[in-house]
Amino acid sequence: MNLTTALARFLIFPGLLFAVPAAWFFLWVERKAVALMQGRIGPPFMQPFYDFIKLLGKDTPPRSGVGGLLMKLWPLIAVSAAAGAVGLLPVLPSSGGFEGDLILLLALLELPSMCIIAAGFSSGSIFGEIGSAREAALSVSYNVVFLLAIVSIAASQHTFRLEALAKLPASPMLWLGVVAILVCLPAKLHINPFSLPNAEQEIYSGPMTEYAGPELAMWELSHGLEWVAATGLVATLAAPHLTLWWLAALVFVALSFAVVLLLSVIAAATARLAIDTTVRFYWQCTLIFAVLAISSALFMRFRS
Amino acid sequence: MNLWNRLMCYSRRRSPWLFHMNGGSCNGCDIELIASLTPRYDAEQLGVRLEGSPRHADILCITGPVTHNAVNAIKTVYGQVCGPKAVVAIGSCPATTNVFIDSRTLDGPLNRHIPVDVFVPGCPPRPDAIILGVAKAAEILAERAAKKIPIDPVVMPLVGPPCNGACACSTPNAPKSTEEQP
Amino acid sequence: MNILTMLWRNLWGGSRTMLFPARPKVSQGYRGLVRFDPELCTGCAICRFRCTARAIEFRAGKGDFVWSYDPGHCTFCGRCVEGCKAHALSQDAECPPIYLNIGDLKNSYTVARKAPAPKPAAPAPPAAASPTTDPAPGGAQ
Repeated sequence: MNLTTALARFLIFPGLLFAVPAAWFFLWVERKAVALMQGRIGPPFMQPFYDFIKLLGKDTPPRSGVGGLLMKLWPLIAVSAAAGAVGLLPVLPSSGGFEGDLILLLALLELPSMCIIAAGFSSGSIFGEIGSAREAALSVSYNVVFLLAIVSIAASQHTFRLEALAKLPASPMLWLGVVAILVCLPAKLHINPFSLPNAEQEIYSGPMTEYAGPELAMWELSHGLEWVAATGLVATLAAPHLTLWWLAALVFVALSFAVVLLLSVIAAATARLAIDTTVRFYWQCTLIFAVLAISSALFMRFRS
Repeated sequence: MNLWNRLMCYSRRRSPWLFHMNGGSCNGCDIELIASLTPRYDAEQLGVRLEGSPRHADILCITGPVTHNAVNAIKTVYGQVCGPKAVVAIGSCPATTNVFIDSRTLDGPLNRHIPVDVFVPGCPPRPDAIILGVAKAAEILAERAAKKIPIDPVVMPLVGPPCNGACACSTPNAPKSTEEQP
Repeated sequence: MNILTMLWRNLWGGSRTMLFPARPKVSQGYRGLVRFDPELCTGCAICRFRCTARAIEFRAGKGDFVWSYDPGHCTFCGRCVEGCKAHALSQDAECPPIYLNIGDLKNSYTVARKAPAPKPAAPAPPAAASPTTDPAPGGAQ
């Protein structure tokens, strides 16, 4: 992948120029779908955009020292990591990639959660610390399933290139992996039933408590970009291989939209689970899934 | 006003984020505030979000007559709300301490301590009145941000059936009550 | 599965929300703003005495009095309406409007005192029988 392709993928499609409006769109879809299912009308269409602009115009509290500098840094790292993750997605058929870009994608998908954890601790507020501890426990629990699922899909094809994974024909292995990833997505995106780090009435916004203004706008943007990246990952894995670039892009957007709707239904139908139930859910119920996936992948590998 | 300022002004009006604080109230107004988020009244149609942290919010909604114990907390939280902010006093308690007027545990109406922008009277006010108060506070925020330049008079399109005329308060410029005679 | 059918029904059944400026009708017995009729008021100030929140102020004067009511103070309990013997007060099914400064909603009326209504004709007093029981008007003795 040469520099121009990389820049085009990072900046234009599916990078920033596409991903930022898509992020706002997906955030709106989630809020609106949850609202409609709860019997009310939700926010108007441009609401996440207005929220973003308004946040850019607010003051930030004065911060000093290394902690203050770090607090300014984490949201920027989160946004760039999420944008990079979106840029790496193999949407277009001939976009090129490099060996091992799956590993980079997984690392970039992890960074926003790491930044949230770090931000909670560097904010020096007790609510931030509790929220970060919860986020860390959540991260440890769903990541095992998430990574095992993706690695099992990759191992069955003997490759760590995203392009090759996007071209995979549908197989039970692939669907098992996709379902396992879908189960982890509510935890990754902090929506019900695993919205624990955002428990508002309990811990006053958790890790984000001391953030305000443009920094908070960056956090919201990184959250939206995480939505695009995570749903985009599922969409690229589940999409059939198409040669026409515009058709591939369209299918990508449509599948991401479908995943967003599915996650909204799950969010509207469930309530927030406590941390012990969450960890128990991921370690007891879904781990079996992921272990099945990785063991069948290795089994197929050793058979072939 | 250039484009960025107009966009900012418009966004401030369309995205009021609330932080709710109880200054010693009986909880009646708090319940009605939460009721305004329910499907029937749905404050989210205006973009209202009830935030968990005062630093995230623009509008501070305070209920309750200000008790001695609550004064410092209210001042601290008011200081923590960032940037352009507005205060809505919900209920008649923060405005005038209502029935608790002779109590020894109170420290006066709310505007002795922090500047209040909108008062929503009622005991408790109806959720639709609270939403109206929040919408008015969002307009005030937008005007303030625009440095007192009057915003476009077509502020919010009237969607839905017009008010049935049961109350005189559906427009922000309700006639002063000294003019109307029973 | 129950929750999913409920969500499905909500999605297609339409929202119950009132779109923003529309407000629901209040019920018959809603205790709203207090209405004052200066024609009927006799200036007894029982309403000021009964008011729990000092929303009603009464300043007496020689030929007229000033009655004022501040909905911002009012708790809409209805004690003034109950206590008014002349039925000058009534409670409307109307919510008080929002206001921006304290005292914006205060309503004052200057009401001229009315002559008291003539007493109905008394029945003929019983005939003064015994002089001893007759209370002597001053100076007769």
